[in-house]
Amino acid sequence: MEGWDTTTKSTLTQIPLLTTKAGPRDGVGWTQRLKEEYKALIAYTSMNKAKDNDWFRISAANPEGTRWTGKCWYVHNLLKYEFDLQFDIPVTYPATAPEIELPQLDGKTHKMYRGGKICLTVHFKPLWAKNCPRFGIAHALCLGLAPWLAAEIPILVDSGMIQHKDDVASSSDS
Amino acid sequence: MDEELLELQRQLEFAQQAKSSIRLSDRNVVELVQKLQELQIIDFDLLHTVSGKEYITPERLRIEMVSEIKKLGRVSLIYLADTTGVDLYYVEKQSQVIVSDDPGLMLIYGEIISSFYWDTVAEEINERLQECSQIALAEIAAQLQVGSELVASVLESRLGTLVKGRLEGGQLYTPAYVARVNAMVRGAARAITVPTNLTALWNSLQQLLQETDGATGVAVDNSFFQSLFNGLIKEGEVFGSLRAGVHWTPTIFATAQKDTVDSFFSQNSFISYNALHKLGIIQPVQYLQSRYPEGIPLVTIFVHPSMIEMLDASVDDAIERNSWIDSLSVLPTLFGSQDASKILSLCPSVQLALKSHRAAILGESYVLSDGFIKDVFHHLEKEMQKFWIPGSSSSGLHDNNNLNKAGKIRNDSSTLSELNESGTEGGSSRSGSEKGSKKKKERSQGSARASANETDLDKQESLPTKSKKNQKKGKGALSIQVSRAKTTKEDSVGIPSEEWMLDNILSLVPEFEEQGINDPEIILKPLANHLRPMLLASWSERRKALFAENADRMKCVLDNLQKKLDESFLNMQLYEKALDLFVDDQSTSVALHRHLLRTTAASMVDMLLLNLDMHNKLKDGIEVEESQNPESVSLSPGDRINLAKDLPGSLSVKAVALAESLEGKRVETFITALGAVAEESGLLLKKLDKKLERTLLHSYRKELIWQVSTEADPVLLLPKVVSLLYLKIHNKALQAPGRATSAAVSRLKDKLDEPAYKILMDYHSATVTLLALMSAATNDDEDCTSDRILSKRELLESLMPALKGLVLGTSQSQDPN
Repeated sequence: MEGWDTTTKSTLTQIPLLTTKAGPRDGVGWTQRLKEEYKALIAYTSMNKAKDNDWFRISAANPEGTRWTGKCWYVHNLLKYEFDLQFDIPVTYPATAPEIELPQLDGKTHKMYRGGKICLTVHFKPLWAKNCPRFGIAHALCLGLAPWLAAEIPILVDSGMIQHKDDVASSSDS
Repeated sequence: MDEELLELQRQLEFAQQAKSSIRLSDRNVVELVQKLQELQIIDFDLLHTVSGKEYITPERLRIEMVSEIKKLGRVSLIYLADTTGVDLYYVEKQSQVIVSDDPGLMLIYGEIISSFYWDTVAEEINERLQECSQIALAEIAAQLQVGSELVASVLESRLGTLVKGRLEGGQLYTPAYVARVNAMVRGAARAITVPTNLTALWNSLQQLLQETDGATGVAVDNSFFQSLFNGLIKEGEVFGSLRAGVHWTPTIFATAQKDTVDSFFSQNSFISYNALHKLGIIQPVQYLQSRYPEGIPLVTIFVHPSMIEMLDASVDDAIERNSWIDSLSVLPTLFGSQDASKILSLCPSVQLALKSHRAAILGESYVLSDGFIKDVFHHLEKEMQKFWIPGSSSSGLHDNNNLNKAGKIRNDSSTLSELNESGTEGGSSRSGSEKGSKKKKERSQGSARASANETDLDKQESLPTKSKKNQKKGKGALSIQVSRAKTTKEDSVGIPSEEWMLDNILSLVPEFEEQGINDPEIILKPLANHLRPMLLASWSERRKALFAENADRMKCVLDNLQKKLDESFLNMQLYEKALDLFVDDQSTSVALHRHLLRTTAASMVDMLLLNLDMHNKLKDGIEVEESQNPESVSLSPGDRINLAKDLPGSLSVKAVALAESLEGKRVETFITALGAVAEESGLLLKKLDKKLERTLLHSYRKELIWQVSTEADPVLLLPKVVSLLYLKIHNKALQAPGRATSAAVSRLKDKLDEPAYKILMDYHSATVTLLALMSAATNDDEDCTSDRILSKRELLESLMPALKGLVLGTSQSQDPN
């Protein structure tokens, strides 16, 4: 479990694990799976709120629950940078992890594939495979997006690639 | 759509909508607190923990620390800093406050220790102490991990209360143990009767303790013994004096020492330092002087003034009686010669006598009165005169003998002296004295002394093989003496040898023999050395006087000699001339030469030698009594050679040659030898001149005529007649022996007329037969030979007038009668 900081790890362990191994095409199995995903997400969110560490909003974009959208943010130098968040549940899920996209940041950083898919650490894939089907969306966010934001946003801000919305607004105003 | 799924969707929505709790970060809190402090809302000191997560007030910290101290009794500050989580700095600060507030606490080496902790420790120690009877502080200190001084200071306040024992030299002892050791020390201290080094004593006690305690016995420090001992002295349990902390002299010993010295000194009125050393008194002089201020310290002995009085009386007596005294014989045997000389110098009578030159101290211990010395001196002087006055030949012999004898004595004495005293000292002092007194003999004795020193060395090296060496040395010494005898004879006639003096002094004062013979160094040598210069002075004075006296006589002798020599030499020359007549007749010539040498020349040489000898002696300052008439003396050839050899230097050689020429056959050699001697001795030889010759011949002729006319013996008449005839005919004085007479007569044949010659021949033949008969007669009274001698004699007597007439007649106009 190397490759992540201790807070991430402790948080991860507190997220309830999933049990059903079913993909979007598995019908009832998928529904069952989806329920577990929701439970995990609820637990993760409430946990974050309790620690005053709320950093995303997410909801299913379609009734099948194969596409998810939402927002994520990061506080840097007392300024909150917010980005759109979206991803699809792959067909081979849960064997394959979902590819989280931040479309607003597409082309602004090297740590990103085309279409705004974030590059995860080399440790992510093996860990995910090892914990299939116990890891779900909540785990993917916790292990993938949260460290990515913590690592990339300060650099992007400092290099001026992204600007705070207030600054953007003020500059556009003027 | 599943109900449950929708419900979950809603729940997620709700959860996401819910207000998140607000949390402050540590940093924010710190900032807040700082803000509060800035705003003076928090107006007291606030400490923070090492972790930085907590704030704590000093009061709280103090309370926590105190509770910790109360709980443990002994807490290190580091431990406190750890438990409270506050920086050590604040803990230290607070601990100082705590300790100053509470007298029962102490802060030592970063530890806070409460008194009740010490109490418990003391109790523990006490328990152990009662078990083991003694514990080392260092052990305790190591156990408690504190300094032993601290332990000592803490325990001292609890000794006797919590800890029942005694602290001594870094060790804790129980009273019982202390009492036991104290008893040991007291026993040992009381048992000591001689001065002792206490350290040694303690060591033995320690050994004893270890033996009795077995392996468990712990080493007791020496200082423990010492302090116990000091306590015993203070309490008066043992008596004595302690020097330098370790040298213990028991009173018993000091008293015994004092008593011994007192009793010896009061009984004998002296005491030797050696004795004091044996008694253990290291500085005897100071000790004695402080005890007996009236006493007198000598070199090896301390004496009471009464001793001086006693010595003074006997010395005074000796001086009064013009005698001598060996102070050593009066003083106790322990006295050395140095002591004797020192005590003598303190005697008032000796001082007085020395000042007024009435006595002399010789050989350190001998006092000789002036009268005694003078007496000896006069004796010696007389001896010397007696000894040196006889003629030089005999004196030489005597000298040799004496030297040999003296040398023997010297050998003996020197060996003995070396036995008695350490050789180097004696040797050096002797050689020193020799140097002083024998400057004149230095040269001659140099070699002798060197070899003597060598033998001295030998002797020192090998005392056991003495006898052998002695013999060897005897030989060596003999040769030395021979050489010395020669030299003394040559260059220092009349200077008495040391040995001779020693001998004479011994014979004069036989008492010396009893004491001094063993070691002449003691008195004889010094006395001899003392007398020597005086003797030499008087001797040289006498010699000077004699010399002056002899000068006149020498002149007289020389004058006499010259006169006599002139006379006889002229005669000699006269006779020599006559020899020319017989040059052609070899045998007669030889006989004549020899005759002349035997008669005239011999007596002349004798006279010359005797006079030269006498002159020589006078020159040396030897008194020579008026010698007998030198002419009357006739010497044998041996005597002549001896005399000639006694003469000094080159004269001796020439005189010997002269004496030998007498034995030769040629008058000419004799004459040249005589000339050489005369030249050497400053005499003149008168040459014969015509005028002198004539007068001499004339007087000779007159004398001959007178002799012939008065001659009654027919035998003796013939040579005189012949001489007279020669004088008349050849005008030469002939001295012919009887054997040469016939040749002389036959020579006259052509000079005389027939009858006169015939008378002469007849008389001659008659004389020859008479002499032949007389020599043949050999004293046995045979009638016929004596008759014939008688008849011949009568015949000769009848012829005598004719013969007389023959010579006398020529002068008296040929008278037939």
